[in-house]
Amino acid sequence: MDVLLQILVNGLSVGAVYALFALGYTLVFSVLGVINFAHGALFTLGAYLTYLGVGGAVGSNGALAGWALPLALPFPVALLLAGVGCAGANLLVEAVAFRPLRRRHAEPLLYLITSLGAGVVLVNLLQIAFGAEGYALPADALGDLPPMLTLAGARLRSVQLLLLLVCAAVMTVLTLWLERSRGGRALQAVSEDATTARLLGIDSDAMVRLSFALSGLLAGLSGGLVGLSVSIAGPYFGIVYGLKGLGVLVLGGLGSVPGALLGGLVVGLAEAAVPGDLSGLKDAVAFAFLFAILLLRPQGLLGRAPITKV
Amino acid sequence: MLDGSLLVQMLIGALLGLSVYLPLAAGQLSLATPGFMTVGGYVAALLSTRVAALGGAEPLYPLPSLLLELLLAAVVALALALLVGLPVLRLRGIYLAIATIALNEILRVVLLNNSWTGGAVGIFAIPQPFGDPLGYLAALAVLLLLAGATCQAIARHPLGRAMAAVRDDELAASCTGIDSFRIKLLAFAASAVLAALTGVLAAHFFNTWNARQGSFDASITTLAFVVFGGSRHWLGPVLGGLVLTALPELLRPVGDLRLVVFGAVILLGPLLFPQGVVTPALLQRLLP
Repeated sequence: MDVLLQILVNGLSVGAVYALFALGYTLVFSVLGVINFAHGALFTLGAYLTYLGVGGAVGSNGALAGWALPLALPFPVALLLAGVGCAGANLLVEAVAFRPLRRRHAEPLLYLITSLGAGVVLVNLLQIAFGAEGYALPADALGDLPPMLTLAGARLRSVQLLLLLVCAAVMTVLTLWLERSRGGRALQAVSEDATTARLLGIDSDAMVRLSFALSGLLAGLSGGLVGLSVSIAGPYFGIVYGLKGLGVLVLGGLGSVPGALLGGLVVGLAEAAVPGDLSGLKDAVAFAFLFAILLLRPQGLLGRAPITKV
Repeated sequence: MLDGSLLVQMLIGALLGLSVYLPLAAGQLSLATPGFMTVGGYVAALLSTRVAALGGAEPLYPLPSLLLELLLAAVVALALALLVGLPVLRLRGIYLAIATIALNEILRVVLLNNSWTGGAVGIFAIPQPFGDPLGYLAALAVLLLLAGATCQAIARHPLGRAMAAVRDDELAASCTGIDSFRIKLLAFAASAVLAALTGVLAAHFFNTWNARQGSFDASITTLAFVVFGGSRHWLGPVLGGLVLTALPELLRPVGDLRLVVFGAVILLGPLLFPQGVVTPALLQRLLP
């Protein structure tokens, strides 16, 4: 029983990260119908920015060796600033890798290639600045919170609980905003039909920028939280999560917000259930789900089947 | 500077570029070229180091055994490509790109965790069928000529036109009676086989083989070959593979910046030179 509960707790907290990831992809996908492959790189950026924000110094292998901010911010402030920084960076990605192609009405394949390029440039610039080594956020970043909590026999790290809470809060706010507010409805209108939305007086370019900023914010927040939870394994660690996030995205259904949540939790739980002696195969779980869903239900668990018009 | 070993790597680059180009000519992005190359390399590495009967008595690894490896690698890659392509290519859009990323990752995880394939260390002391790089150069040049001639023949054949039609508008192509699923599957399978054949020769050449050959970096590098060279004519990816493989070696100081440069090529290429360096217009001017 305790083992099951432990798997559930671990699975949900990992799944929450995947869900945040897939949600970041989903925001952009639902507006533009393309995937921003630079998302994983923004996640890495968020983790490094958070690390700098709490006063961490750059290691000896980077071009910025030894450099640190003159002040150390509390973790929540650093995390929020990192999120804002990533929102800005994603706006830059939009301006360089997406907008010129949108003006030309280019084929979706090209967005994929340019955003992949933007991600590779970003990750490797980070590698040059920070070196390839891993970084760990200080263990006392959460202040007075106890590092470990015990819930009905299952052990839960405070940072895992924080991840779950942030994920739940983001999901709730985002869903309410999309469904209830004018801005959210405008975003949905653009995702349904950009031309009609423009005729109705919605500035679709502004909506695209908004979706990129929100998606960057999510990437930055989840990067900082995961950096605290499992440490930053080097500039490529966001790419690994980013690739898994793609599996989660397809599993949940491209463009579906509840699908991103469900997909994330399913993959997180499945990974947590992989027995210890097979733990090396854990990283393949998300991709096995991806193939299974493409075979059985290509539109994903909660996605709409596309209607092809001739 | 241009020693035999660099030339061999350039030819490997050109072949991998062609492997990425083939599905792209039918409008499909496959990022699994390094994955299929890894599979081909493992077929060669496992057969030549574990099956004593293939070794022969001479100091050099026998050529018939090498041919057998090439054949087996092609069969394995073809089976794997059909396994992935049959369900995925029925869907339109970007699913192949995502599925090939997934394939790369599954291959990497399985190869890393399997003691039978040498785990993370990989396989060492792969026997040499050729005494010096010249032999590898010849073998790769033959493979490249065959692949290039095939691409040239396809371009003039109705198949090539069907591929271009599917690339430009899959729906319209289907309406004119083109079986777009079959065309896409054919292009993807050809890409997989070519990458696996290249992997066999590469594994012997490098003498050691491991799962890192199929990393995400390698997918980016091979994609850069095609984006740089151009995907409208088969000479484009060949040129891209040759030049971009030689570039980091010729410009030593760029060392650390290699992937930044490749990333910038992928980022800015489609914006500034949508057709790459080798465009049909350029070829028409050069080859009247």
